[in-house]
Amino acid sequence: MKKDEGDFNFSEGFQDGLPILLGYFSTAIAFGIICRNIGIPFFETCLYSLTNFAGAGQFLAVNLFTSGALLFEYFIGINLINLRYLFMGVALRTNLSKDVKGIRKIIVAFGVTDEIFTVASMKNSNCLSFNYMAGLISSSYLGWNLGTAVGFMMGMILPKALQMAVGVTLYAMFSSLLSCEFKSKGPKVIVIAGLSAAINSFLILVLSFPSGWSFVVSMVTTAVIGALFMKEEK
Amino acid sequence: MKNLPMYLIVLVAAVATMIPRFIPFYLSFLNKVPPFVKKCMSLLPVAAIGALIFPFTILDFLPVWYAGLLGVIAAFVSNFIKQSMLLSIVISVLVTYIALLV
Repeated sequence: MKKDEGDFNFSEGFQDGLPILLGYFSTAIAFGIICRNIGIPFFETCLYSLTNFAGAGQFLAVNLFTSGALLFEYFIGINLINLRYLFMGVALRTNLSKDVKGIRKIIVAFGVTDEIFTVASMKNSNCLSFNYMAGLISSSYLGWNLGTAVGFMMGMILPKALQMAVGVTLYAMFSSLLSCEFKSKGPKVIVIAGLSAAINSFLILVLSFPSGWSFVVSMVTTAVIGALFMKEEK
Repeated sequence: MKNLPMYLIVLVAAVATMIPRFIPFYLSFLNKVPPFVKKCMSLLPVAAIGALIFPFTILDFLPVWYAGLLGVIAAFVSNFIKQSMLLSIVISVLVTYIALLV
């Protein structure tokens, strides 16, 4: 591999993506199973994951499909649930090396997901190389699409407790990332994460917000409150 | 209900997913933002983590509400002691599995 501009290389990215691969794999299995159960053919199911690469958005669309939604309802609904990518993209873009342009930019933009954004941001670099991003996206993309295909082909669920336990993977990954941040930046990290957790829980449990909306509101509100009240910054 | 061809839905969904992903990369005025907005953006990742974990790490494991919570705590502690994400995840899955079985 040629020496790239910016921080970190492809294999570091791929390795950082391995926890996401695991988590996506187990989530996508559920997606594959659902698609099969409601009668979407194998080809379309795989095409869906290959072209969309979006967890919550895909589950939503499948939901709409079974309720016979109109095309523009898909369009609006999916846009709303994916609104958060807008904020993530703006933040992520400032952390990328200047060599991310043209086709490289298309690949990185395509690969923005909650998990990829979070992992990339936690590298605390403002010059992430394209190769790093490509590695991170590759392992995650692999997990998502393999999971979809395997889920469809298995068509059934693992023992209940095991299936559920594997579902903790992504939460565990976020928790580990938070732990790293806590170690390097101190308690304010916990305050911020705790605040957004509290807002999100309140919106979903008490006000019954749809999770896509709730997530956007919690994330943005917390960031604004944090920026207002936290003194120094790094 | 099935009057729409599936590939068309897939296509529309893909476009709808890609719009919010691509906009920030192609509208350059979003790059020259005031310092306060920059500060907000720097807090987004950690703010995202909180909302990504809660409340679903509780809701996903109902009726054993504490199973995911224990897993998340285990991952946090494990990663704090020894910085290895894969190890933390394995421990977390085990803890959750045991909590679900007990």
